[in-house]
Amino acid sequence: MELDDLKGLIELLKDTDITEVQIEKDGNKVKIRREKRLSSIELTKPVVVHEKPAAEPAEDIQKLVTVTSPIVGTFYRSSSPDSDAFVQTGTSVKKGQVLCIIEAMKLMNEIESEVEGVIVRILVENGHSVEYGEPLFLIEPVQ
Amino acid sequence: MELFKKILIANRGEIAVRVIRACKELGIKTVAVYSDVEKESLHVRLADEAICIGPASSAQSYLNIPGILSAAEVTDSEAVHPGYGFLSENPHFAEACATSGITFIGPTPENIRVGGDKAKARQVMKRRGIPVVPGSDGPVSSEEMVMKVAKKIGFPVIIKASAGGGGRGMRIVKEESGLEQAFYMAQREALAAFGNGELYVEQYIPEMRHIEVQIAADSKGNTVHFGERDCSIQRRHQKLIEEAPSPISTEKFRKKIGELAVKAARAIKYRNVGTMEFIVDTAGNIYFMEINTRIQVEHPVTEMVSGVDLIKEQIKLAAGALIEYKQHQIKFHGHAIECRINAEDPDRFIPHPGKITFLSLPGGPGVRVDTAAYSGWTVPSHYDSLIAKLVVHGVNRQEAISKMTRALDEFIIEGIKTTIPFHRKVFSHPDFVNGEFNTGFVDRINGSGKPGSTGEETQ
Repeated sequence: MELDDLKGLIELLKDTDITEVQIEKDGNKVKIRREKRLSSIELTKPVVVHEKPAAEPAEDIQKLVTVTSPIVGTFYRSSSPDSDAFVQTGTSVKKGQVLCIIEAMKLMNEIESEVEGVIVRILVENGHSVEYGEPLFLIEPVQ
Repeated sequence: MELFKKILIANRGEIAVRVIRACKELGIKTVAVYSDVEKESLHVRLADEAICIGPASSAQSYLNIPGILSAAEVTDSEAVHPGYGFLSENPHFAEACATSGITFIGPTPENIRVGGDKAKARQVMKRRGIPVVPGSDGPVSSEEMVMKVAKKIGFPVIIKASAGGGGRGMRIVKEESGLEQAFYMAQREALAAFGNGELYVEQYIPEMRHIEVQIAADSKGNTVHFGERDCSIQRRHQKLIEEAPSPISTEKFRKKIGELAVKAARAIKYRNVGTMEFIVDTAGNIYFMEINTRIQVEHPVTEMVSGVDLIKEQIKLAAGALIEYKQHQIKFHGHAIECRINAEDPDRFIPHPGKITFLSLPGGPGVRVDTAAYSGWTVPSHYDSLIAKLVVHGVNRQEAISKMTRALDEFIIEGIKTTIPFHRKVFSHPDFVNGEFNTGFVDRINGSGKPGSTGEETQ
């Protein structure tokens, strides 16, 4: 069994509930087993405050810079309900440019871009709460 | 009565799990907060909602007041339970909760202030006629002052930090020649550990028992006690084993110390659940030492002998419930003992975080384990080393000891070192079995060789 075959098998298994599989081919035997934590107890996973959308495979994630939230709070795309959003997808931003506001305890915190580049995706909806480390924007930095 | 709809637990580990359990039984929704290295922890899994509030360091996560209040705000949590340690005795946090319209489950900010200032607490109690350990009247600001007190009450004395705890900022002074160094060392340590170098002095009682009383009070001032706990098995002022009742307790003793505790609580208009700590000398004299304005690690032993759920009491009292029962209705049954299992080398008590590769918990009648550990969990290195509390309850002390011995044998934790072997040693030691021990016990059976020892005795 080739390494690629094994890799393919493991990938296939990842998305299933199968915990153990044994394959024999041409005299070679392979057993793949999934380690389970807290086995036999179905614990309901907590509802994370915010559902994170899966990134589309179209984007080359490696190149992009992820802007994450440094605090817990509520994400706003503009400085007030009537004003325009700070950025849209496709907006070019400079280093230090304000991307959004995160409100925490009635204080408005401006979140600034650390890089120069273009906004590729906005990952949180206006008015939704965010936690520490939550991805907010994907930016394609200029080379 | 209407309890809270949702409580945020501002803590981690076993106490967070404990609070979540009480909330679930009361039909209250739970919010867990966690640092970014604790996403896989048990308290996060068990809560209804979970929010990451910061990176690993405590200061930026579990001590992060704005982060925690913000998390309460975005989840619409009506109350916050602070657990023990972290922000539980931080008066600013208690006040900040109140300002934000969130109920702090615990005593008032003023209670916390008094409790956190040990020199002041002594003064308040002394003025109310509660016997305190002989010592300075308030803080001491110079070695000369310490000398004056020592001359009055006699050596040995112990210099302690007013804002202190956990055995830090303490120095024993056996004689005049050691005073100067002890004073400055204690001050430096207190400043580094608590940001406050204020000190006070007490007579040092080498063969003392540390006996504390669990109390609870409602908003009208109705105050009751739930009996005493003996916490004399300590190492460097950190408790390792606790039991209820105390082996030296009698009905008369319990009544006396219980009444003192209630008197002390009333003296400061204490609210919600708390503990009054006393020192008892070999003659049986009871001296007030300090107040703990929070739920304590060792609360399970009181729960086992009295049948009360102290966390539920905290929640109900915070929601405005009154204490309907009378002191004489609180009954005690049997004997309970708790062993704190730490992720530490059992001989030298050096912390030993790492991955638990296999975990099997003891069980059977009268055995309770409070833990957030599970097989495959990695004990983080950033927080304290307590990983489990093994609590047993028997009809008497002898049965409790036999249960604990059995349970310690069944407790399997592989992948890290734990203090289980140390506990096995204690439970087979004749002095412990006979109930003849005091705060000098651990050093006696373990030798005084401690890692990082300064060469001075700390007691």
